[in-house]
Parts: sequence; C-alpha cells; structure tokens
Amino acid sequence: MAAGSTRLTRRAVVVLIASAAIVARGVDPRAAEAPKRIVSLVPALTEMLYAIGAGPQVVGVSSFDDFPPQVKSLPRVGALVDPDMERILSLRPDLVIVYGSQTTVETQLARAGIRAYNYRHAGLAGIFSTIRDLGRTVGRERESERLAQQIQQRLDSVQARVATQPKIRTLLVFERDLGSLRGLYASGGVGFMHDILLIAGGTNVFADVPREAVQPSVETILARAPSAILEVRPTGLPRERIPDERRVWDSLPSIPAVRDGRIRIVTDDYLVTPGPRVAQAAEAIARLIHPEAFK
Amino acid sequence: MNMVESTVSVGAPAIRPIRARLTLTVLGFGALTIVTCLLAPLVGSTSISLARVFDRSIPFSDNVDAQIFFIARMPRVLAGAVTGAALAAAGVVFQAMLRNPLATPFTLGVSAGASLGAMSAIVLGAAVSFGPIAVVPLASLLGAAIAAAIVYRLATLRDRAMSTTVLLLAGVTLNSFFSALILFLQYIANFAQVYRAMRWVMGDLDVGSFQPVLAALPLIVIAFVLFALLPSSLNLLSVGTDAATARGVDVARAQRLSFVSASLATAAAVSLAGPIGFVGIVVPHLVRLLVGVDHRVVLPASALFGAAFLVACDVGARTLLAPLEIPVGVITALLGGPFFLWLLVRRG
Amino acid sequence: MLRGSDLSYGYARGRDRSGFSLRDVTIEVPRGSLTGLLGPNGCGKTTLLRLLAGILTPESGTVTLKERPLKDLSRREIARQLALVPQETHPAFDYTALEMVLMGRHPHLGLFELEGPHDLRVAHNALATTGTDHLADRAYMTLSGGEKQRVVIASALAQSSDVLLLDEPTASLDLGYQLDVASLLSELNRERGVTMLLATHDLNLAASVCDRLILMREGRVIAQGQTTDVLTASRVRDIYGVVADVRHHERAGHLTVTPVSRAQ
Repeated sequence: MAAGSTRLTRRAVVVLIASAAIVARGVDPRAAEAPKRIVSLVPALTEMLYAIGAGPQVVGVSSFDDFPPQVKSLPRVGALVDPDMERILSLRPDLVIVYGSQTTVETQLARAGIRAYNYRHAGLAGIFSTIRDLGRTVGRERESERLAQQIQQRLDSVQARVATQPKIRTLLVFERDLGSLRGLYASGGVGFMHDILLIAGGTNVFADVPREAVQPSVETILARAPSAILEVRPTGLPRERIPDERRVWDSLPSIPAVRDGRIRIVTDDYLVTPGPRVAQAAEAIARLIHPEAFK
Repeated sequence: MNMVESTVSVGAPAIRPIRARLTLTVLGFGALTIVTCLLAPLVGSTSISLARVFDRSIPFSDNVDAQIFFIARMPRVLAGAVTGAALAAAGVVFQAMLRNPLATPFTLGVSAGASLGAMSAIVLGAAVSFGPIAVVPLASLLGAAIAAAIVYRLATLRDRAMSTTVLLLAGVTLNSFFSALILFLQYIANFAQVYRAMRWVMGDLDVGSFQPVLAALPLIVIAFVLFALLPSSLNLLSVGTDAATARGVDVARAQRLSFVSASLATAAAVSLAGPIGFVGIVVPHLVRLLVGVDHRVVLPASALFGAAFLVACDVGARTLLAPLEIPVGVITALLGGPFFLWLLVRRG
Repeated sequence: MLRGSDLSYGYARGRDRSGFSLRDVTIEVPRGSLTGLLGPNGCGKTTLLRLLAGILTPESGTVTLKERPLKDLSRREIARQLALVPQETHPAFDYTALEMVLMGRHPHLGLFELEGPHDLRVAHNALATTGTDHLADRAYMTLSGGEKQRVVIASALAQSSDVLLLDEPTASLDLGYQLDVASLLSELNRERGVTMLLATHDLNLAASVCDRLILMREGRVIAQGQTTDVLTASRVRDIYGVVADVRHHERAGHLTVTPVSRAQ
C-alpha cells in the first residue's frame, strides 16, 4: 500500500500547487483588471501604450493618430470635438482614454460600465506622471517605469550636451498665416514645449507669460528681439514652401534672429506631441538651436 | 412762367447753408482725424524714445525703436484709418440705398463671403497656396466678391432697378448660408486653425508692414471715387424712388453705383482687417447727430470720423491691458453696443 | 402741354399682382388746365401718371411734353419741366422741411454743385406759397398730415416746373386739410398758371377744382373733356357701378356727386 499512497500524495501535491497557482492568479488584483480592449482618443497616450507594450490591446484610435505605423489600420473614433460614441461602444472596449474636458463622453462611458482614463494636458513633468499612471492602469508598471527612465536619461544627455553653450533667446512659433506674420501664436512660459526648449539650451522670449500660447503683436516681437526663431508647424506646410516662409521674416530686420539668419521651420508631428518621443523632440530642437554642439 | 421765382422776400434761413456746413465739417473732422493719426503711433505697449526713432545715425536694421514706430505702429495706424473710413462710408451708403438706418456694411452678405474666404484659406490654404503670397486676405477678397456678385445678380434678376426687398432677403440668406459653411469648416479644422479663425473674426489691424494696406488701397480709392458721385442722389433716393426719378435721378444707376462702391469698400476693409463690427453703424449715426442727415455732409464726415474712431479704438486695444492685446472688434463692440442701445431707446 | 398717345403698358412681368395693363390710352393735358384723372382703384391712374412723368417706359405709344417726345429728353430736362407729387412720402431719415424742399432743386444743379442763394430763395418762396415757411427748420416727420402734404407740394414747386402731376394728394388728409390743399392747388393753377394733372378717387374734389376730367376704367379712357360735360350720372354709373346724383351745388359753386345706391 505504500506505493499507492506515494502516488496519491504526489498527485495531491500537484493538485495543491496547481490550485495555489490558480488561486494566486485569481487573487492578483492587477492581473484581473488589465484591460484587453483599449480605445484611445489622445494620440500622445496611444504612443505611450505602444511604447510600454500595450499596443496589441489597442482596438481604436482618434482621427489624428498616426504613430506608430500600426495605428494606421485601426478604426477611428473621432477626436476632441467629435468623439463618435457609437463607434467607441461598438468596439466593446474595457478602457477608453479621453481628454479631461470630455465630460459627456465620460458620463456616457460610466453609464455603459466602461472604465475611462482621464487625461489632463500638463508640462514635461506631466508626461512622466502620465506614463507611469497609464502603466499602472494597464498593468504594465515595470515597462512604464523603464520607459520613463529611458526618456529622462535621453533628456539629461541632451541637456548635458548643450550645458556649456550660451542660452539662446528663442521665439517658439506654433502657428501663423501662410505668407504673412499675422495670426501668430507663440509658446508662453508654460507647457511641455517651453520645458523642452529649456532643456535644449534655449530661453523662451515669452517665459514671463504664464500661458501656454501667446498672440504677440509685431511690436512685441520687435521689442523682445529673439536671437533665434523656431517655427514648429506640424500641419499643412509643404516642404517646398519653407524657404518662402522664412523670407516672410525679412520685414522685421532688427530682430537678431533675422539678421543672423537663425530661423528654422520644422514640420514634424512628434515635435508637438507630449508623448514618448519628447526626448527625440528635445534633441531635434537642441540640434536646431545649437548645431555646433552636435558636430 | 415759373411761379415761384417771383421776388417774394422771405426771412434768412435759420440753419447754415450747405456750403458753409460742408466746409466746417470737413475741416473739423479732418483736423480730428489728422491729430488722432499723428498721436496714435506715439503710444503703444512698448515704450520707445522718439529721439531714437528719428536718429539717423543708427542704421535702420539695428534701430528697434524706429522699427517699432515705422514697421509695427505706423502701418497699423494707416490700416486703422483706411479701414475705419471705408466701413463708415460703406455704412452710410448702404443705409441710404436700403432706406434703412439700421443697415450695416455686413447686412448684404459681403462680410460673410469675406469670412468664408478667410476660413477656407485658414483651414484648406496650405493645399492650394502658391508662392510667398498672403493667402488669407486674397481668399477673403475672393469670397467677398462672390457674395456680392450673387446678391447683385439676384437683385437685378427681374429688372434694372434693384428691389431693396430682394437685396435684403438675398443678403440675409447669404449670411445664413455662409455662416453654416463657416461652422462646418471650423468643425473639420484642428485646434490651431480654429483659434486662428476665431481671432480673425475679432478683427486685427496689426498688419506688420505697409504692404497689406497698399494692396487694399486701390480698391478703397476706387470705392471712394464712386462714393463722391453719390451723396445728392442718396438724399433723393432715401425719400422715395419715384420722387427721385421725377427729380432727375437715374435710380437704377444710382443703386448699382451704391451697391458696387459700398461692397468694394467693405470687401477691401474686411480682407485687410477682418470683420470689425459697429464702425459701419455707430459712426454714421453719431455723425448724423452732430451734422444733420444731408448725405453730402454725412458721407465725408463719416469717412473722416470713421478713420479717427477706429484708430482710437485700436490705441485702446493695444494699451488698455498691455502687454495683452484686446482684439479691436471687441473694443468697437463694447463701445458700439451700449451706444446703439441708447440710440434705439431714444428713438422709441 | 402734356400729351399721351396710344399708350400701352403691361405688368406682364408680374410685378403687379392684378396683372393689370393700360391699353391704347390717349390723353391730353392742355396748357394752364387743372385736369383730374378719375377712376376706381386699380384702373391704371398711377401707372398713367408714372408713364407721363417718364418713370415708366410705355410698351407702345409716346408721351410728349411741349411737343417733344419724352424719350428725346434727358431725365434732368424732364425734371426741369415736370414735377411729381407721389402718393406717399416716407423719407428714411430725419430731413427738415427745408431740406425736403431743396431736393426739388436737384434738376437745376450740376453734378457737384451745391445749392446757392438763388436756390434757397426759390425754396423759401415755395414754402411760403404753401403756407409752410414757418416750418422750414422743423423735422418733416414731426409735421401733421396736412403740413407734410403741403411741404411735399412745395418741394415739387421748387423744381420750378411748368407741369405738376399729383397722385392722390388729399387721400390721407382730414377734411379741413383736404380743403386747404384743394384751394392751394386751385390758386396755383389760377394765379401762377401751373398746368396740373391730378389723379384722385375723390369725385367731389375733382369736381371742385378741375376744369377738365379724364375718366378711366380697367386700363382704358372712357371719357375726357370739360368737367361739366364729362361728369354725368350715367358716366358715374358706367365707371363705378353706382347710381349717383350729380348736380350743381349753389353754395359750393361746383358740381357735386352724391352716391345713392349700387347699380343693379
């Protein structure tokens, strides 16, 4: 009878260990919560999801998403002003990432019993906290922590590289009319673009304005006299137009940036996306205003 | 056998005759406008030294004060004067032509067309732009021209003389229709474009160089040349078309001339500075309170006062909350709204 | 003085809802006469006046003024010889009475010419003639109905024309003002020799001041000639479908028309 009882014991131990494992998995709260179908209305956060390995769970994105390339084949559900609730619901998500101001969407999701992640746009520090927070929400804490540190390291190296360079007074332009200086929007002293500019070794001529965007008059621009003008125009500017657009500044010759020809116009989306590629953006801007440091 | 040309002696007229009134008015308002335009560039959000501005020893490209004065402020003052004069005069002409003191330069849809053109350029512009040309003012002008053409065609469909009813209906319809198209464009636009569009609609005289003003000037000059032919006809038209014809006015021609000149002035002004409201109605009414209703005095006086008024409003716009700029259309609305209310209450 | 020959005009383009037209109208307004144009509403009186004033162009026929066809004259030339008092005058702005009257000087002024002392004298004379000189600086809109009408007549007089066309000059006036205007017109005709054509639906007004009458019905002239010849009971019945008593009134000194009943 000893052989039989050994077989029984062995079997019992296997069953016991197996049940313990099953129970353990069932008890792990995060493993149970990890969303499997995520819809994201915020392009920056979509990028974060892919960067922390949650890409396969993304089932729907906003109309403005275009990175990484995998999102191009995903269904679109609208954006900030026109979120398509029907589409969102039809994708049967268990997590929807929305803008902080989209309160109606949140209410509707709550009624449908779907979890919402509320994104509020903030400065550079906000990008890090969002990466970590998002990582917690989708059960990828380790990956998000790793990503955050990678980005921080890269930012630090950019900052170190330009540390010895003199700070360049920069006018950071978001938008203006084609062919003229009217309707000009520049970065104020708040926001991640302003923060990146500082890391890239520049100072913002409008650092004293406590807003993200400023609409300066021609007089104000002349008075602030930036040494460099950096125009980040992600939408709608064809490459061939860039030399012509640079020449528009010739009407204000007393600006040092115009005198010295330090006007750069760039048209890449990632430069204005508060997401994982922010370190790339910082490096790109650093190269533009401190080319000597990257030779 | 003219029965009234007999020598019956009558008392001297109590109100000054027209010649004296016209001279006095033009001199008075002209002086006001010149003084305003001379003082305006001296004021701004940045303090500059006049001595430095005119210091020839400093090369222009290094002289920030001079640049602020000549590049930022002077064109702005000129733009304000030209736009104010155009809108005020257009207001007078539309009010007379439509026989309605509540008409504005924007009543007949010209401004809606200009706005649609500007919106289209802001939202779709990059796709169709060509060369280093400022697309928004050009598209704005095109939109205004299309709107005016549509209204004109509708109003002259039945016969040579324009029906004011048809004009008003066509204008109102066009305003609604174009507004709907504008809303749609804003819906498909991104944030930056929507902000830009909103900013354009509030009016902006910060032209940044003389070039935009010089571009708009030929149209405004033509409009004013045509305006010069109108005042006595406007008086007669505003009493009644049959009476006007019986007194020798070619009513159809006068109406066409009024429509074309006022639309031209409005289109040029709106393309240059956006649809700045209230200038076209507050200035004519204010002027009428001061000089009477004879269009031969009201039209030149309104043009002059309109220039001074808008330049003054722009000074307020750029100094009241300096360094923050209030859009000039907001200033004219803040002044114009209450004034208009007061006018209506007074009338009733 | 003023003659219309075979005038025809149609509202085929649909402006007039009744689809009305004038047919083969031939009329004459002799120099120095005070002619009345009578007929029921919609018979074409206003259209005829507008054709005679040169505001409308007839589809066929001609209007001649002092033997010259209207189409050979410029608008200004016509305006210097012919003035019109329209049915209603509603200025869109607050003109003074004097400003209203001065507008009558328009055909005598060049393109950029302003009124001079002579024009002012003419204007004041016109106001005096209509007894409204004391209202010269008053706003037209603030005047009474009778005063307004007299100012409008004054502005027509200021045109210094030989012919005056009036469309329902007493239609909206109180009885007293009706008499005032009637006697004013009579006086202008008698003492100043102004030739007048007066469109009215008021039979008694026409009978009291007009020496000649033109009767119209449905776009055609039914009769024209001396008032005493033309204004008969059978004509009234013909034109208005009304049985009326037409007789000379001793005290009033002219024919009067008293409606009795509808014709069967």
